[in-house]
Amino acid sequence: MAAIAPSFFSELRAICGDDGVITQSERLMVYECDAYTMEKHLPDAVALPRTTEEVVRAVKLCAQHHLPIIPRGTGTSLSGAVLAVDGGIIIGTTRLNRILNVDYRNRRALVEAGVPNLWITNAVKERGLMFAPDPSSQPSSTIAGNIAFNAGGPHTLKHGATTNHVLGFDLVLPDGEVVWLGSTPEGGDDVEGYDLRGAVIGSEGMFGVITRVVVRLMKTPRAFRTMLAVFNSADDASHTVSDIIAAGIIPVAMELMDQPITRAIEEAYHFGLPMDAGAVLIIELEGHEAGLDRQLERVIELCRKNRSRDLKPARTPEERAALWKCRKSAFGAIGRISPNFVTQDGVVPRTKLPEIMQFIYDAAKKLGLGVANVAHAGDGNIHPIIFYDERIEGDVEKAYACSTAIVRRCIELGGTATGEHGIGVEKVELMSLQYSADDLEAMQRLRRAFDPEGRCNPHKMFPGGKRCLNFNPQRQVAI
Amino acid sequence: MSIVSYAPDDLTVTVTADTTLAALQQHLSPRNQWLPVDPPNPARLTIGEIVNCDVSGPRRYGYGTVREHVLSLRAELADGRMIKSGASVVKNAAGYDLCRLFTGARGELATVREVCFKVQPRPEAEQFGKAEFPTVEAACGFVEKLDTSELTPTVLDLHNAGGAGPWTVVVGFAGTREEVDWQRKQTGSLAAVADANLDHDEQFWSATAARPVRKLSVLPSKLAATIAAMRGVTSLVARAGNGIIYYRGEDQGTAIVPSTKLMQRLKHEFDPAKKLQARHA
Ligand SMILES: Cc1cc2nc3c(=O)[nH]c(=O)nc-3n(C[C@H](O)[C@H](O)[C@H](O)COP(=O)(O)OP(=O)(O)OC[C@H]3O[C@@H](n4cnc5c(N)ncnc54)[C@H](O)[C@@H]3O)c2cc1C
Repeated sequence: MAAIAPSFFSELRAICGDDGVITQSERLMVYECDAYTMEKHLPDAVALPRTTEEVVRAVKLCAQHHLPIIPRGTGTSLSGAVLAVDGGIIIGTTRLNRILNVDYRNRRALVEAGVPNLWITNAVKERGLMFAPDPSSQPSSTIAGNIAFNAGGPHTLKHGATTNHVLGFDLVLPDGEVVWLGSTPEGGDDVEGYDLRGAVIGSEGMFGVITRVVVRLMKTPRAFRTMLAVFNSADDASHTVSDIIAAGIIPVAMELMDQPITRAIEEAYHFGLPMDAGAVLIIELEGHEAGLDRQLERVIELCRKNRSRDLKPARTPEERAALWKCRKSAFGAIGRISPNFVTQDGVVPRTKLPEIMQFIYDAAKKLGLGVANVAHAGDGNIHPIIFYDERIEGDVEKAYACSTAIVRRCIELGGTATGEHGIGVEKVELMSLQYSADDLEAMQRLRRAFDPEGRCNPHKMFPGGKRCLNFNPQRQVAI
Repeated sequence: MSIVSYAPDDLTVTVTADTTLAALQQHLSPRNQWLPVDPPNPARLTIGEIVNCDVSGPRRYGYGTVREHVLSLRAELADGRMIKSGASVVKNAAGYDLCRLFTGARGELATVREVCFKVQPRPEAEQFGKAEFPTVEAACGFVEKLDTSELTPTVLDLHNAGGAGPWTVVVGFAGTREEVDWQRKQTGSLAAVADANLDHDEQFWSATAARPVRKLSVLPSKLAATIAAMRGVTSLVARAGNGIIYYRGEDQGTAIVPSTKLMQRLKHEFDPAKKLQARHA
């Protein structure tokens, strides 16, 4: 890329303030990657605007200078979706973090793009409401980051993902024009014309910069039954999940954790999880008090049929919270068992869960790597965590080969390469396994309508982009 | 007209676009499953029409519109190429969501040929109740009470009995027998509620009066004021919980079409020769 005119940086400072522009290389290092740490690139600068207006002016300035722009939330992406592959300017939303309005009657909130997911629920829970999508990263990941990946979480099984709970937002297009897509803060649910809101959700920040979002709030369910079911094998646990779905019961969540991850969590946090279980399931039912126990009985029956050796119901809200804390601490616990890891998030039809679990164990064993599994099992969404040690020659490549083999198998089984983490730079090669050249070309048409120059978050999602694996062992960050 | 594949244990079904909704529901019913969308005329309406026009019915309040249930689709582009979007699994973050883009686009961007849906177990029980009110304000007051209570109706409709009045709120609950009974009882403590069904909706859509049905979408909080200000309207049905009003009579002004330039660019990308005309259900 040609050198950037020095006047660009002074103009950017004039827009975002001196404290809103980062250009020193030691400070830029924070922005060289996201939570996918296998690849790193330094941006040319980071802009941290405080208002929509500042975003517009910064984006227009980048357009005049023909510079790539990369929208960024808190960088918890697991697929390298905020990498400045070819340099460019990161537009960070960390200072766009206000909840602007809560409309209790219509169960909606208007929030800025950089508001962390959990802040929304925290702001409205006293009134019996919540923002339903619950990624494990919810204390830090932003609403716009959630939109970019259509993020989900354990409760997506019943409540759906981000796209089911975001009604509308504005978008600063790469040329600086501002459009409002979907429902406006004062408008009804249905809008005329194409569902551009729906088309932007899941587009990995490639269509422009979001600054304000209207989210739907849900009534917090009044009653829960949450239970830990303990199994001797991951196979029994996976069969239980298929059986529950097949029986016509849709719990609000069904999460699987296998032995290595259960042990790691227990060693790190001492929740009282069984160290010798082949796998455990966290199963949660919710709704009105009436009728829940009968549903629970049915679930217990199906667990027993699949040889569950122990069923531990959460008896108090505290016990329930502890169970969920176990699940959400999974990634944090891994640092104790492996210096490095890579995770995947393929999805298979739910009946294929036992098969893909076996495939994961076999693939890791063949390459001599350790593996642990957490899975949004009810959705068929796996998260195999493959351990490696970058200090060992060839380990990185093995880990990469193992995780790619797993995702390929998911696609062969009729599933998808990613359920929530997105393609980013990490999975670009897999796109052509899942989609034909014509499918990908149709996606490019959509992109061109928003960004004819392909300047917004370039080199992501589509195969053939500029990319090199650039492993830098010294600077691996642990999550 | 055919069912391409049905995986009841995965809760997914794939059908060609010319299959009628009734035929699809019939195929799902032996396994006690359904696609929880209920637009008028299921025996005539095809899946292609439902997806093109995103048409829905009273249960939209509880289950959303059809776009919430589409997992993947095959569509023919204006130049004749067939493409696929999405996957037959309940979660997918690979690639852009062309399913959402094509759903509701009236066939102007591509012609939908095949759709894979996420289906659901049929609820064990479903019950409807109705309460009548002398004024639209009183009826909307009841709607607000329900909408902001701890109850979780799947239907929350308001209608004016074909113009004859009174203002009637129809509320529906679905789920286990126990929870439906309990919710129905709670509703009874808020107003005098009689047993009901969804006939009001069928009557509204099948009315022979030649005037076309029009639609308004407002915030639920503005429903009463909007309806009170409407002039020259004969019959009306509102999805009161969603703020959607269907009416026959004088045009009350159409909605603004947002971001027109962007939509035109999109149309140009997908159909430069303007071969694909808007379709209606
Ligand atoms: C420990 C851990 C657990 C996780 N658990 C889950 C999980 O359970 N479920 C799940 O779905 N994900 C999970 N993730 C992944 C990640 O947290 C989510 O994808 C999240 O949505 C990213 O949000 P972010 O604010 O960090 O965005 P970033 O990582 O900063 O960016 C992600 C994408 O959003 C785009 N973007 C950001 N802001 C904007 C904007 N204003 N306008 C337009 N585009 C924008 C970026 O360009 C990029 O493509 C997890 C990650 C970690 C590290």
